[in-house]
Amino acid sequence: MRTKGWQSVFRFTFIQHIKTKTFIIGTVIFGVILSAICVLTNILPVILGADEAIDGIISGSEGSYKDFANIFVIDETGLLTDDDFSSAKELGAVISKTDRGADELINELSVMETAEALVKITSVNNVNKELLGYSANIYYSEGSSAASAGSLSDFIYTLIDRRKMMDLGVSEEDYPKTLVYVNCTALKAGSKQVDIFTGMINYIVPLILPIILFVLIISYGQTVAQSIATEKTSRVMELLLVSVRPLAVVIGKVLAMGLVSFGQAILMSSICGISIAISAPFGIMGKMFSIIGNSEIMNSAGESAAMAGVSLEEIEMAKGLNDIFKNFTPLNIILVLVIFILGFLFFSLIAALVGASISRMEDLTAAMQPFMLFAVFGMYLSYFPVIFNADSLSDGVVTTNPVQVFSYYFPLSSPFALPGAILLGTLSPIQAIIASVVLAACVVLIAIVVSKVYEAIILHNGNRIKFGDILKMAARK
Amino acid sequence: MALFVNNIVKKYGSYTAVDGLSFEMTSPGVFALLGTNGAGKTTSIRIILGMLAADSGSVKWDGKEFLAAEKPVGYLAEERGLYPKYKISDQLIYFLTLRGMTKANARQALDYWFDRLNVAEYRNKTAEQLSKGNQQKIQLIAALAPNPELIILDEPLSGLDPVNAELFKSVIREEIQKNKYIIMSSHQMTTIEEFCRDIVILNKGKSLLQGNLNEIKKSYGRVKLTVKADGDIRAMAEECGLTITEDTPNGTSFNVKSEEQAHKLLNMIITGKIPLIKYELREPTLNEIFIEKAGGTNEN
Repeated sequence: MRTKGWQSVFRFTFIQHIKTKTFIIGTVIFGVILSAICVLTNILPVILGADEAIDGIISGSEGSYKDFANIFVIDETGLLTDDDFSSAKELGAVISKTDRGADELINELSVMETAEALVKITSVNNVNKELLGYSANIYYSEGSSAASAGSLSDFIYTLIDRRKMMDLGVSEEDYPKTLVYVNCTALKAGSKQVDIFTGMINYIVPLILPIILFVLIISYGQTVAQSIATEKTSRVMELLLVSVRPLAVVIGKVLAMGLVSFGQAILMSSICGISIAISAPFGIMGKMFSIIGNSEIMNSAGESAAMAGVSLEEIEMAKGLNDIFKNFTPLNIILVLVIFILGFLFFSLIAALVGASISRMEDLTAAMQPFMLFAVFGMYLSYFPVIFNADSLSDGVVTTNPVQVFSYYFPLSSPFALPGAILLGTLSPIQAIIASVVLAACVVLIAIVVSKVYEAIILHNGNRIKFGDILKMAARK
Repeated sequence: MALFVNNIVKKYGSYTAVDGLSFEMTSPGVFALLGTNGAGKTTSIRIILGMLAADSGSVKWDGKEFLAAEKPVGYLAEERGLYPKYKISDQLIYFLTLRGMTKANARQALDYWFDRLNVAEYRNKTAEQLSKGNQQKIQLIAALAPNPELIILDEPLSGLDPVNAELFKSVIREEIQKNKYIIMSSHQMTTIEEFCRDIVILNKGKSLLQGNLNEIKKSYGRVKLTVKADGDIRAMAEECGLTITEDTPNGTSFNVKSEEQAHKLLNMIITGKIPLIKYELREPTLNEIFIEKAGGTNEN
């Protein structure tokens, strides 16, 4: 049996690794940081009142054009009439025309500590002097807020738009009817439309998850290479090979480091979950969970929500979260775990070959360079296509470009790309299973190469064996 | 029990590291694998242990294919290796459990060997905290604690001080008394000569000379003469047809073609009333045989 004794190698490698100070200190520090991030992300919005601030920005209650003590208007178009100014004053704006120069006023506003603003309205014409539109620049003083200026901007827009429509014969009564908005969205047949919050999650998670998976898979893959290289260069390998075959050493080591990596991922996920659960009653997540748990609020955007003191934005966020949790099915979770393990095996078996190919520790960094380039390429292949899906942020529509689809099936990138796609529901279970089978087939292929050449290279001393030589060796066998 | 190494060949490209090596150990004792650097000793040992696959030939233990990973073999490698950062007791238990021992048996065996080799105080230290000699002791423990039937010692005494070398020798003697099959490789010929029964001298992968050491020596006969006298004997030696091979304060050495030459010289010294301090007519030492065989071939 070429693999006899792998259990002893596995046990020893695992126990010795988790006993190292580096691992213990690293795990504790990483866990504390992660826990703090989870707790702070949850409770800081409540402590700082940020959720109210967000509501305020959405509803516009944070700043108002009425906050300005004076609003000066330079109307170069002559569009606005005295009537318009009277109406504006009735709506609470302290607004008046001025004959003063714009530059002089802007200079004054730049040092003014009271809330004052200048509105300069100009017309925009084409080369034939035909009117294309109107432009209003709003200059606000040092003592004003951006939110108030934003409100004034909306106010001036409405003022100009109203005048424009009335000049075209729209009555005062009919004008509000022209404000009914029209939303037009282009949707690819078969794709699903999601809300903005879910769109954000669909965009951000595939950006962050590959990086986390890259760290977990590649850093432990490197540890496998380092461990095998250390045993080979310190001649411990020769002692081991009296008792076990080289393949048993590789299997024991790769699986031990895989368990360490997997265990650390589970531990960190648990720390996040526990931190959020403990801090939930004091933070925004508690509110989200209570909304998700209340079907009456979830299914109504009206009175029930208002009575429960829940804003529409909060319901939207809770619905987005709920949509994501719906993808945490047992099948998807199992698929993610299987892909993580397959990805780890894929990269670690290659790393083991790299570790076995060197005779001096100082050669390890150079030997690992091609491995790292492949790994980074795989990670970027799963990372960059997501950036080009930024449209999903604005229209909330899930899109996948061809490169992203390729990254799901390509073994160098699939370990980093698939988990996010499965958990976000971008891939159907059937597609996810096909991608996993492709990855598993590649792992088997690598394992066959390793089993053929590992015994030949592990006792080789001298110049570093290049990757091409290893492949030739495997082909010969 | 018997170990049969039959016509093993190992090539690396066009270079032949081992070229048709054959020997057998049909009874317990020490077998010496000798040769200059690069002669193919370590490659032969690795093939015997099953770490390397031979291109042809076979290694059999009791008539079956021999695989160290599946048989109780103790191996002390030429290039020592321990995990520098792990506790000595942890790594020894690991090595012993890999050899099929239970943890309890491993601990019991370690208690004995730590005391036997005077390293009990180091069991909780890391390898990097130990001197080279003590690391060597730890590796000898790894080789012997499983109580293997076959022991392979590659340069067991290199780098040891005289006290620890003597300790190692006493342990090897004990193993011989326990009827173990021992293959030893060393450049320290006096040590080999002290223990071994059979030898093979390798050069460029080929066996130059092999067999029972006593028989080999007998086949040479008493051809080494060393004389120390209180006077000049060089003219007498020349008259007897002897040529000087070495002249040191401890005496003058000659190669003799027949014992009559040596007797003639002795008679001349006595007749010439030259005070004789030392007269030794003997078989060649292993070192002399080795240099003659391996050194001569190297010069070619």
